[in-house]
Amino acid sequence: MAPELRQSLFGVEFQAPVLLASGTCGYGREYAGLIPLDELGGLVTKAVSVEPRSGNPPHRVAETPGGMINAIGLENVGLEAFASEKLPWLRDNLARAQVFVNVVGRKVEEYAAVVSGLDGEEGFLGYEINVSCPNVEGGTMFGTDEAALAELVGRLRRETERPVIVKLTPNVPDIGIYARICEENGADGLSTINTFPGMLIDIHGRKPVIGNVSGGISGPAILPMGVYLTWRAATACSLPVIGIGGIRSGEDALQYILAGAHLVQVGTASFVDPAAAATVQEEISSHLVGAGIASLSELVGGLRLPEPAQA
Amino acid sequence: MSIATSHTASDILSPIRHRAAVISNRQAATDTWWLELDSPEIAGRAEWGQFVMIGFGLDHLAPPFLPRPFSVGWRAEDGRIGLLVRAFGAGSRRLAELRAGERVLLLGPLGRPYRLEPGVRVACVAGGVGLAPFLFLAGDARRQGFDVDLLYGELTADKVFDIGLIEELTGEPPIVWTEDGSLGSRGRVTDGLRVEGGVTVLACGPTPMLRALAARAAREGFDLQVSVEEHMGCGVGTCQGCVVQGADGRWRKACTQGPVFYSSELTWPPS
Repeated sequence: MAPELRQSLFGVEFQAPVLLASGTCGYGREYAGLIPLDELGGLVTKAVSVEPRSGNPPHRVAETPGGMINAIGLENVGLEAFASEKLPWLRDNLARAQVFVNVVGRKVEEYAAVVSGLDGEEGFLGYEINVSCPNVEGGTMFGTDEAALAELVGRLRRETERPVIVKLTPNVPDIGIYARICEENGADGLSTINTFPGMLIDIHGRKPVIGNVSGGISGPAILPMGVYLTWRAATACSLPVIGIGGIRSGEDALQYILAGAHLVQVGTASFVDPAAAATVQEEISSHLVGAGIASLSELVGGLRLPEPAQA
Repeated sequence: MSIATSHTASDILSPIRHRAAVISNRQAATDTWWLELDSPEIAGRAEWGQFVMIGFGLDHLAPPFLPRPFSVGWRAEDGRIGLLVRAFGAGSRRLAELRAGERVLLLGPLGRPYRLEPGVRVACVAGGVGLAPFLFLAGDARRQGFDVDLLYGELTADKVFDIGLIEELTGEPPIVWTEDGSLGSRGRVTDGLRVEGGVTVLACGPTPMLRALAARAAREGFDLQVSVEEHMGCGVGTCQGCVVQGADGRWRKACTQGPVFYSSELTWPPS
């Protein structure tokens, strides 16, 4: 019998635990016809800001050992065009996959304007709040300032009854503190983690490879950091966590699940193979069959820690 | 007016993702290989100037970790496609080392193609590996009755792609330019471009070459389509990595809005 992959979270049922990560699936439509979007757990849109953003100059992406660096700069069509041009497609074409809209802003009011502007629309479940973009000035401000994060999450909580997920940055000394701040201020869940800041230098030209000088590192190279920080966040609070970072196989995803994640997101791997997320879902299922596990839920947070050594 | 391409409008079709076997890979110049893959799915749909993303899939961490864009350099009735591979770094070196029977992950055909209005005289200007799309286009367009010149420039003779193979694929030998004069005419390939009497110019090559041609097209008023190159993540518009600057200052995605643009659609800042 096929194992149970469904997860009940945020008041709905996710048919499968794998979502496409923000910034790696556009607004969904880009993958239409290429991958079975509606068979996935869901997707998280490219970040949406109040006004359109043009993004950074090229190069915006480059390969790094076991991963990539990117500095897109949150290029997006803005709230109005997202609502009128992008969201209707998601509403009309995804019946089973759940959609989160990734939201970004420079000020609390900008985040709030996106949330209030979209809240009455159809075609999505909730929001993933981006407080962790390393590629724009102030992009990680809310994610690295405890008071600012508390204010932002509290404000967005008052703005909507839809699920509010906060996507945290790895670039803090203790991610657990930020996880608890999200919980205390009314967030429904966490996404851990966004990219790590990095840099790549062209030694012939003696200049940065990336137009923005620095960028965010993603891909398999960051898998163990993502697993660790997901475990830290999941054990620091009682919010459900979506694990992100370097996942390209079912085994990778299950590390996040055991660390405490209920769902996972696949990002960079989709660039390597657009079928990555579907493959990860299939491999999770195969693993459960092989291990005789009836339901994925049995593994969530199922990490077995070694007993402390006796003195 | 109808517009000729190598195929009827397939812009709206989704790209195909499949594992393709290497049929052959042979060296065709210094650091340069001619890679033939078994891909009936892509061969049947590719248009002039479109590209494929080629990579090794999720189990592969060494360069190329990310798939790389390559112009479709040829497609055969039997389902083969040909790619021109030049080894620049570790990723392209690995592709240059592909052996018959190995499998790669292909995604394509991708992007906007070159377009020709019926009856125009065509000049293809190829710089270095910018030759690739014209191996496909020149022969195909000639068979459709277009008058096509293929001007092909390299720095030195040893980099010049196998002339016999170019002739086999396109029906005629190219007009070769080398910067040191070691083969063909001495100078830059753009020096060989004659636009008197009206011509549609199709170009692919290094950005400085495209910039020089764009300046000349603006000055002399000829129709110029360029195929641009930029670091690419996904090939299908999701990552928004591969941008070039449009004439209005906004970014354009090379993968889905290009790679072929009219030169007047883009901004050409000084190098």
